[in-house]
Amino acid sequence: MPEAGAESHRRRGLSAGSHLLVQAGEYVCALPLRSVRRVLRALTVHPLPGATDELKGLAEFGGEPLPVLELARLVNAPAGGKAAYPVTIVVWVGPQDRRELVGLAADAALEVAEVHLHSVVAGDGGFILGEALVDGALVRVVNLEALGGEG
Amino acid sequence: MDPESTARTGERPLPEWATRFTDNALVGWVVIVGLTVFGFLLFLPGSSGAPPWPAWVFAAIAVAGIALYGTQVYPFFRQLERRLPESQTQWRLLEGKLIGAFEELGAGDLVRSNQQAKALPDRLSRALLAASDALSALATEIQNSSIEVASSADEVNQIASDLASGSSQQAASVVEITAAMEELARTASQIAENATRQAGLAARAEANGDAGALAVDEAVAGVEEVQKRITAISQRADALGTRSKEIYRVLELITEIAQETHILSLNAAIEAVAAGADGRRFSVVAEEVRHLAHRSQESVDSVRGLLDEFSSSIRATIVATEEGMKEAGRVLERSRAASTAITELRLASGDTSRVSQQISLATQQQNAASDEVVMTLREVSLVVQRMTGGLKNLSTTADRLNHLGLTIQLLAQSFHLDSPRSLKNLVEEMAKKLQKAGSAELETQLDELVQGYPFLQMGYFVDTTGYTVALAYNRSVGDGSKIALNLREIDMTKRPWYRSVSREKRSALTPPYDSLFNGEKVFTVASPILGRDGQFLGVVGVDINVTGWTRI
Repeated sequence: MPEAGAESHRRRGLSAGSHLLVQAGEYVCALPLRSVRRVLRALTVHPLPGATDELKGLAEFGGEPLPVLELARLVNAPAGGKAAYPVTIVVWVGPQDRRELVGLAADAALEVAEVHLHSVVAGDGGFILGEALVDGALVRVVNLEALGGEG
Repeated sequence: MDPESTARTGERPLPEWATRFTDNALVGWVVIVGLTVFGFLLFLPGSSGAPPWPAWVFAAIAVAGIALYGTQVYPFFRQLERRLPESQTQWRLLEGKLIGAFEELGAGDLVRSNQQAKALPDRLSRALLAASDALSALATEIQNSSIEVASSADEVNQIASDLASGSSQQAASVVEITAAMEELARTASQIAENATRQAGLAARAEANGDAGALAVDEAVAGVEEVQKRITAISQRADALGTRSKEIYRVLELITEIAQETHILSLNAAIEAVAAGADGRRFSVVAEEVRHLAHRSQESVDSVRGLLDEFSSSIRATIVATEEGMKEAGRVLERSRAASTAITELRLASGDTSRVSQQISLATQQQNAASDEVVMTLREVSLVVQRMTGGLKNLSTTADRLNHLGLTIQLLAQSFHLDSPRSLKNLVEEMAKKLQKAGSAELETQLDELVQGYPFLQMGYFVDTTGYTVALAYNRSVGDGSKIALNLREIDMTKRPWYRSVSREKRSALTPPYDSLFNGEKVFTVASPILGRDGQFLGVVGVDINVTGWTRI
């Protein structure tokens, strides 16, 4: 939770460019704050037999089963150290008309920061929309809509 | 006998007794005839008458005397005069034998003198033989006595030399013992001094041991107190460790609260975004909450860091106290061992002090005894030195006595006696045996004779040319072959003994000289070898070892 980010956020206030910065392996990923439903301490996940590597399993959220994905695997991030306080971030994925809730397992929820889209360098066209610099640190902006579309 | 008158007349005069007898008889007859003629004339009266009867008596006596002279005295003297030359011849023969006997006697050859004496008249022979026997007995006694004297002197000399040598060694040993005793006395003094010093040091060591024991006891007590303190510190450190664990749990709880608060602030921010413009103020609060959570987390991290350091210090303290406890235990154990050692050292020092005092006392007594021994040894040394000097004088005197005995022996040996101890007799007997031997057997015979007498070093026969023709050496003395070869090349005619024997035809004796054989003192006895007709054939000589002879 860098202080500089909080200061800039306080200075700028929340806007359409607000993103939630999370730690996934060695990457810092930016999730659009409008798509974030809730930040939770890591939920208890029940693995699904035959599931892909990205799908950790199913958790329970609001009385409903919630699929939980491994964000680090989604963005192909190198594995980092053991997380002290892992979190599960509940986000809306998919197009606006067919969006659904998905849990993203991350190592930590860092802060809320402004990421201007015009400063984002184009990504690989997959789940990473692009890369941007936030307070001098490289941040990978995640395309949650694309995640939902493939799901 | 007057030698001059003999030389003038050319014949020997009448014996004195015959001359005196003739002169006295003639004078008596003249006196008697004169007295009768005087008596006749005295009683004859002039022309007056007939002569008186005394005149006739005197005349008758004169006539009778003349007649007696003419008939008795004159014929006696005439007979005596006729017998006188025969008597003179017998007398001269007797005189020659007597002179010969005396000459042999004068030359010391009592054997030949006796042979000459046996040809003299019986009484004269007996008297001469008695004198010769007495002289022979005297010479034999002198020989025996001189041999005894020389032998005894030699033994005394030997004993005195041995004693002098022993005394010299004894004196040297006494000097060495004296030096050793003096060194011993000095060493004893040093030992006494060192023992006294050691006693003092031991006493000081004992006193220091007392102080050391007290100090060690205090140190043991101090270490035990330190051990107790360390135990207390360890217990408190354990308690602090326990408390720090509790603090860790509290910090974990606070951390969890901060995380929850952080997550809560993020969710608040999310809700504020979802609320749109209405949630903007709420987002500020959420941000402040998140910031507070962040500060809490930072504080927790800071406290954890401090607590880590604190825990590390406590662990180090615990380790240090454990090490301190172990070290204190070891120090305590060593201190107790040191205390025991010091106690033993104190006892040993006390014993050492007492023993050193006893040693000091004993060595002082030994020093005094050594001084007395040294003084006694010096007196002994003086006595031994005096005794050595006396023994050397005795040795010198015995040596002189030995030489004197040898001189007497040689003088006595100058007599040729019919005795086994007469060397001249011995050599003449050898000469007789050699005379009977042929020339081929001469050396063998000489060798047998030489080997038969251990005191003979060498025997040789020198012929009339003066060169040695036969030679033998005593093999028990050594190898004389080289000397024998040399002797055969030497002309002996210039040697005094050869000249004396060849001239006098009798045995001769030389003074002692150093032998060419082995360097010892020898003397030579030489005798002539004569043919059956008395012809001089040569000289047999033997070298006699002086010491060997006197020991025989």
